[in-house]
Amino acid sequence: MATVDYPLEKSRRQREFSLSEALYSWVATVDHKRLGLMYMTSAIIFFLIAGVMAMVIRAQLIVPENHVVGPQTFNRLFTMHGTTMVFLVGMPIIAGMSNYLIPLMIGARDMAFPRLNAFGYWIFLFGGILLYFSYLGANGLFGAGSAPDVGWFAYAPLTERAFSRGTSTDYWILGILVSGIGSIVSAINVIATTLSMRCKGMKLSRMPLFVWVMVVDAWMVILALPPLTAGQVMLLFDRYLGANFFNTQAGGSAVLWQHFFWIFGHPEVYILIFPAFATVSEVVPVFSRKPIFGRQAMVGAVVAIGFISFGVWAHHMFAVGMAPISNIFFATASFLVAVPTGVKIFNWLATIWGGKIRFATPMLFCVAFIFQFLIAGLTGVMLAVTPFDWQLTDSYFVVAHFHYTLTGSFLFGVFAAIYYWFPKATGKMLSETIGKWHFWLLVIGFHLTFDPQHILGILGMPRRVYTYAPGRGWEPWNMISSIGAAIQAIAIICFAWNVIRALIKGERAGDDPWDAWTLEWTTTSPPPEYNYETDPEVRSSRPLWDLKHPEDPDWKYE
Amino acid sequence: MAEEDTKHDYPDAVDMPAPSFWPMILAFGVTLLLTGIVTNYVVTLVGFVLSARAAVGWWRDVIPHELHEEVPVRHPADWAVPVRTTGRSVASLRVGAAHHRMRIPERVHPYKAGIWGGIAGGIAMAILACIYGQVAHGSIWYPVNLLAATVLPSISQAGETALGQFQLVAFGVAVGVHTITSILVGVLYAVTLPMFPRRAPLWAGFIVPLFWTGLIAATLALTNPALNDHINWIWFIACQIAFGLVAGFVAAKTQRIDTMQNLPFIERAAIESQWSEKPDGKGRQ
Amino acid sequence: MASSATQPVETEWRLPDRGTVGIISLILTEISLFSIFVIAYLFYIGKSLTGPFPKDVLEFPVLATICLLSSSGTIVFAEHALKHRKMAMFKMWWAVTIVLGLVFLYETGVEWHDLIYDKHLTIATNVFGSTFYSLVGLHATHVIVGMTFLLIVFIVTMRGFPIHTQIRRVTFLSWYWHFVDAVWVVVFTVVYIVGR
Ligand SMILES: [Cu+2]
Repeated sequence: MATVDYPLEKSRRQREFSLSEALYSWVATVDHKRLGLMYMTSAIIFFLIAGVMAMVIRAQLIVPENHVVGPQTFNRLFTMHGTTMVFLVGMPIIAGMSNYLIPLMIGARDMAFPRLNAFGYWIFLFGGILLYFSYLGANGLFGAGSAPDVGWFAYAPLTERAFSRGTSTDYWILGILVSGIGSIVSAINVIATTLSMRCKGMKLSRMPLFVWVMVVDAWMVILALPPLTAGQVMLLFDRYLGANFFNTQAGGSAVLWQHFFWIFGHPEVYILIFPAFATVSEVVPVFSRKPIFGRQAMVGAVVAIGFISFGVWAHHMFAVGMAPISNIFFATASFLVAVPTGVKIFNWLATIWGGKIRFATPMLFCVAFIFQFLIAGLTGVMLAVTPFDWQLTDSYFVVAHFHYTLTGSFLFGVFAAIYYWFPKATGKMLSETIGKWHFWLLVIGFHLTFDPQHILGILGMPRRVYTYAPGRGWEPWNMISSIGAAIQAIAIICFAWNVIRALIKGERAGDDPWDAWTLEWTTTSPPPEYNYETDPEVRSSRPLWDLKHPEDPDWKYE
Repeated sequence: MAEEDTKHDYPDAVDMPAPSFWPMILAFGVTLLLTGIVTNYVVTLVGFVLSARAAVGWWRDVIPHELHEEVPVRHPADWAVPVRTTGRSVASLRVGAAHHRMRIPERVHPYKAGIWGGIAGGIAMAILACIYGQVAHGSIWYPVNLLAATVLPSISQAGETALGQFQLVAFGVAVGVHTITSILVGVLYAVTLPMFPRRAPLWAGFIVPLFWTGLIAATLALTNPALNDHINWIWFIACQIAFGLVAGFVAAKTQRIDTMQNLPFIERAAIESQWSEKPDGKGRQ
Repeated sequence: MASSATQPVETEWRLPDRGTVGIISLILTEISLFSIFVIAYLFYIGKSLTGPFPKDVLEFPVLATICLLSSSGTIVFAEHALKHRKMAMFKMWWAVTIVLGLVFLYETGVEWHDLIYDKHLTIATNVFGSTFYSLVGLHATHVIVGMTFLLIVFIVTMRGFPIHTQIRRVTFLSWYWHFVDAVWVVVFTVVYIVGR
């Protein structure tokens, strides 16, 4: 074989390695896999930064009347923590996972618009840097303020010029606006890719559930993000041109900001959870050795969630005093989401049921996801009950609820995805032993952190307070919560160690380490630049099953 | 070897979009353009110039034709291992033979059985309740009025003696409530009976009635305070078990029917085709 | 029906054009953006605490509307001519489209100048000013963006670029232009009819 001459390849290999060339190859890349990895890496770096912020927050709250940080710093910490986790961790992880996996899963060579894809990544990154530049640059105008301190939903009129001096709020607006362009661009790309780049035979009815969920997610992004952008533009007009959109003294309405924000904000929480849905729908069948239960119902449920999530936003606003009819409408609509969500949970359980289960790390994360997401959903239904919400809104109960969705569900789903697809992306296996340490420490830390916060909320502890007085029964729960946060930090260190160890001396993965069924496992790990030497052809929703079991292929049943 | 070089049936190279740094410059330019708002208008100007230059560069990349670079295809030795087709196999499935791709239950009791079972159980329950009324309170109308009080709170406020008297409205309401509930529970029985684990009589007759009695006990103070005040739990449980036993017995006695869930859609729609089931039920092969 | 026989893959395999899907998605996301500004405008109708009020200062922009709406027709003629390789006709209709668009922008400029300097309505005057300038301004921004692309196409064509190789992109540009026109119909209805 060695005598065969491959001129193009040879000329490439003979090129000497140079740093500038390597740098150029990353900066100028339009390869969906490289961009996907860049998205994921940036997201993980932002995740670590925001995680450190969370540690400082929990350190401040560990005992009453603590003084790790002052109130000003505390406000900036929770604002930047929330903003970073939603816009600079959640959104790029969506883009990163879709970018890396969708073309591989549908048998395409690249995304529909490769250059636009690169643009989307870079503008997200620059937006994120702009937001963090506020720590240095936001001393402008009045010399007041550094990082934004208005909370991640930046309620008016707190954000108006009169109450938020300096430019910190402007950095919040612009950082999110700029990185939002990236999210929109990558969502358009995902839609065009899934609709126009599928390989032969990859009908929508055969498309992997992962791709289905991510394309619905992309639709939600392009419809839900513009309301936030519009609201932010209005806010910029208020702050710079003296417009009166949210200026209550000139007939403007502060509540309108809440509406605009949550028209974006509620679909956003589903946008964030969808990558976890997508991952679990791929991982659970493979590790249960069964096809997904109720494929059509799963697709229908995702589409239904997408639709309903646009009609429930005001359940975040029960406490502002809307008309009773609005309260009833939004409460009912919010209950309605529980139906398709329940369908998904039951179908995952039914997939596991009777299966030949392998509890590898990705599967462990998925099982924890299902359990924790169920609880998140249940507290969500509780909060959708208007009078209940009146009691607990803006309390630690709400904090616990949405950390169950974002940490307990989204993060666990993402870790499942990383453990599952890391071998494909790098060619190396992550260690199962360290993975199990990571998993169990994270589960224990997560529950220690957030379970007591439900109780804290019921005991009346408001969110966003930088400290509290002793003697209200809050001390033990806060102490437990902070200890749990430290355990989570150890879990994340395990994860980082696992990744670094695997990259240096990880076991070789091979093409198909999990004996899986979707197309990405037919190419090498990592895949070549062009993904597949020859265009794949697909006959069923589990193309690899068909190849592995020619005596009983899926296409006979679909 | 040399022959292989000339006649392999895969491409030498694949056309991939050429790398370009203009998207990055444009992103940087747009960011600067907006950063000018919070810093200095000069930043905006620089951003504008950069964006314009990057836009032109980008257009040059795609117009008139999108730039491509030829990526050489790897040596076949580096290709992915062909997907395994030997070593393991799964047994071919026959309809109804295994649990794979099978929807359960395969056979159910008809809804009719549930309706009759519910009615029979309802009658048994009513008789036992009336006996209780006669024995404990000297009136068969006592339990009837209590049941009606769920819907008509005024009845329970009338006092102990009124509860023992025949009231037409209360009677109508009670019969209506009792009939509807009995039939609904009966149908539920018919549907769920085949799914019960072993010892269906134990489940249908005792465990399930006890379960819903527990549910009722937990919520009765809210739904029917009057009944809650007057209820005799021993008799109540006896009535529920009477219902469970009779309804379960009647429903279980009927002939089960095939759900046809395992037949392909075409067959359920009664269309003849090449995919149709063979009459011997041996599967599709 | 031997079990070893493989199912043939679909011989016909057609997928929608990626550019078409992309431009439709872009237009949808723009609709979402505009609808928020429209909602804000509708919400704030009659909520201004001080004048000037819409009925005092707004006049129907008849000429501008006619120009913009008819430009949707002329761009279709231009596209049609391009598809049949009638380059002179293409250039003519393309130029007419650009002129109509420019007249619209000029008319808007005149209206704004009049409102700001003669009728003393700025974006900071009251909520009517805030919503009016932002909604109409957002639309005008889109017209300017569209106009930039129209001009680029015109200039490169006049300099001899073979534009007929780019029919697909020209079509997408014309779709965008139709979208901008359609938005004007909504803006016009909301601002000049409902809002007055
Ligand atoms: Cu919500």
